[in-house]
Amino acid sequence: MTRSAVLAAVGVAVAVVAALTACSTGDRVDLGGDSSGNLVAAIAGEPDQLDPQKTSAYFSFEVLENVFDTLVEPDANLEMRPALAESWTVSPDQLVWTFHLRRSVTFHDGSPFTADDVVYSYRRIIDQELANADKLSAVTGITAADPSTVVITLKQPTPNLLTNLGGFKGLAIVQRRNVESGEIATHPVGTGPFAFQSQKSGDSIILKANPTYWAGAPKVSGVTFRFISEPSTALSALQAGEIDWTDSIPTQRVAQLKDDDSITLATTASNDYWYLALNEARPPWNDLRVRQAIAYAIDRDAIVQATSYGTAVANQLAIPQGNPWYTPYDAYRHDVDKAKSLLADAGAAPKSLDMLVTNEYPETVTAAQIIADNLAPLGITVNIRTVDFATWLDEQNNGHFDMLMMGWLGNIDPDDFYYAQHHTNGSSNAQKFSNPEVDRLLDAGRVEINRNARAGEYAKAATIIADQVSYIYLYNPSVIQAWTTRLSGYEARRDGAIRFRTATLASGGAA
Amino acid sequence: MTAVFTHPITRFIARRLLYSLVVLFGVLVVVFALVHLVPGDPVRIALGTRYTPEAYNALRSASGLDRPLVEQFFGYIGSALTGDLGVSFRNGDPVTVTLLERLPATVSLGLVGILIALLIALPAGIWSALHEGRVSDAIVRITSQFGVSIPDFWLGILLIALFASTLGWLPTSGYRPLLDDPAGWLRHIVLPGLTVGLVAAAIMTRYVRSAVLEVASMGYVRTARSKGLPPQVVTFRHTVRNALVPVLTITGIQLATILGGVIVVEVVFAWPGLGRLVYNAVAARDYPVIQGAVLLIAALFLLINLIVDVLYAVVDPRIRLA
Repeated sequence: MTRSAVLAAVGVAVAVVAALTACSTGDRVDLGGDSSGNLVAAIAGEPDQLDPQKTSAYFSFEVLENVFDTLVEPDANLEMRPALAESWTVSPDQLVWTFHLRRSVTFHDGSPFTADDVVYSYRRIIDQELANADKLSAVTGITAADPSTVVITLKQPTPNLLTNLGGFKGLAIVQRRNVESGEIATHPVGTGPFAFQSQKSGDSIILKANPTYWAGAPKVSGVTFRFISEPSTALSALQAGEIDWTDSIPTQRVAQLKDDDSITLATTASNDYWYLALNEARPPWNDLRVRQAIAYAIDRDAIVQATSYGTAVANQLAIPQGNPWYTPYDAYRHDVDKAKSLLADAGAAPKSLDMLVTNEYPETVTAAQIIADNLAPLGITVNIRTVDFATWLDEQNNGHFDMLMMGWLGNIDPDDFYYAQHHTNGSSNAQKFSNPEVDRLLDAGRVEINRNARAGEYAKAATIIADQVSYIYLYNPSVIQAWTTRLSGYEARRDGAIRFRTATLASGGAA
Repeated sequence: MTAVFTHPITRFIARRLLYSLVVLFGVLVVVFALVHLVPGDPVRIALGTRYTPEAYNALRSASGLDRPLVEQFFGYIGSALTGDLGVSFRNGDPVTVTLLERLPATVSLGLVGILIALLIALPAGIWSALHEGRVSDAIVRITSQFGVSIPDFWLGILLIALFASTLGWLPTSGYRPLLDDPAGWLRHIVLPGLTVGLVAAAIMTRYVRSAVLEVASMGYVRTARSKGLPPQVVTFRHTVRNALVPVLTITGIQLATILGGVIVVEVVFAWPGLGRLVYNAVAARDYPVIQGAVLLIAALFLLINLIVDVLYAVVDPRIRLA
């Protein structure tokens, strides 16, 4: 390299630095939303795919809640109200449900929504045995009586049918053409308040308002979902006015944010819950007294504090206070002596416990450390096995664990809370719990029409489940969201559904 | 024309490209074996926690995972040769398209980061070496030690807190394509570029310093100085130029590392680079995406290696391209 070449290189470098500085000291950052009324929301991860019937990722549902509709949908109190179905009637024997559909609803591509779409959507779930097929397990027939009437026949009375059909967007009404072209996973077409416009891999998804939405056009012109998984970055972006809404929030800063007038913070008790389960196929955990010993040994309040900085609510059952299906229960307390005497009664002295947790859900890793500490006085060494979620699922399904910690999200009906998890034949009963009385009660709850009688059955089942330590329930986390004070007409929902259809953005600000 | 093909550099590059194909094939064999050996079943992940055996088998066969491994491998090689790296298990997107969508963000970050690193490391390292043992040398060495020890995510969060939250000069996160929005590209790349650049600069400063020191102790430098050449001429023509070879090596390694994915920085700045793509693909056992991305990253490594080797010869004519 000659001297002049070196000088030229230095010159270029200086010019680049000058250019960088010139731009970096520019005006307030303009992020160039397409129009003034566009809402920018930051979610904590990228959807795996956009087919509502196939995805199981919460990030997908955060977006798809705004793109798709169900026949009925949960209101703020999680009671089902009309959506694509305007009204419905039930036969006296409870076996035939007739849904009258809203007329002149169209998909985002302009094609009309009819009863055939409902039949197609539900048949797809049933025939392809998609993950949500158990929501339709009582269904024996779905027919379109005319373009705006759908008749669903059942093999047994199903009091929670509406919740099953509308509880979440996994039962969304999809369009046959969109599915058959294979485009639904990347370019979904729905009937919802916003239409999918585009996705930038690893960056964002853009939705546009649907001006002909049946419940009225949204007030904002569109929603951009950005993927910001680092909570402190998302919060900085909110405070800098780059985004208008986020649920990617560092929990350790919630207390401090409550006093921040520049943003609105919502912490809403959710229906989600976290639990421990002991593998009853492995001794000594098959002994009730040993399981109870563990239940007495753990310090629930410490776990709540460590995993959520106190934003979650400790609970010894699954369903939170304030929910219509709530059952009070407080049989357990943090009591090491009681735990020791239970172990002595059982004649068991387990030396180690293989605890399966996953870094996909960091709360399980955090809680495991507290639990290891809690069980040390019993002479039990907790071997914390942290694996990625794929391995975790394998290990759970193969029964390779002594204890695991996990959560169930998005539950509405009590059947969602208990059946798959605790029925002897439940599809998610990895801990191999089996109790004839619980089975009977859970089966009865599925067909009981009388609401009070049904609530009684579930209260009884839940109490036995906790007494018999099928699960050691830990806590209900809160839905934590923050948004700009310019955003109104939006509420944080207990089921975690993110609905921007009625949101308004006051003008001004950077978005 | 014939001169071009018989020129030593052309022949060298052609031979190296051929080797590269062999290496890529090896990489592919290893990656293919590894992703299939790691526990965790992509079908099970795709289906979530509630599914039936029938649904499991249906998806498994639709994804081609029920075919013998060897058959899967050669099928993959066959289509890879035509540029088709398969489709993602998760959303059916063509892997080639996804990779090409992510590549500009990664390359931007890599080049800007390495440029910042060089702009700092070259002057700081040379200065430090030429002032060995003095206060300014100590300052450079202590600063670079700090730089090596600072975790990049922490540096990133600090930069966001200062330049985005407090001063409001720059956006906190995100990426704009250079061709669509050059000004936006520049504003968005400053902070992540600084983060990877400063960390790389700290490492490279130490290399530059020791390389210059080593050359400066050589006999020919002493000879040059003793025959009365001006100090700048000795420094730049004799010392620095000869010190560039090890510096090139470390620059290439640093650049390749950034291109291979700086996951933590990508997460902090919500940067749509290859690192997060690979990370998410591994979490979901999305075999086609993992394979495609590793293949691309390996190709980038080989390319940088090749460029560095050619540059060796440019910098130091004694190095033969053989």
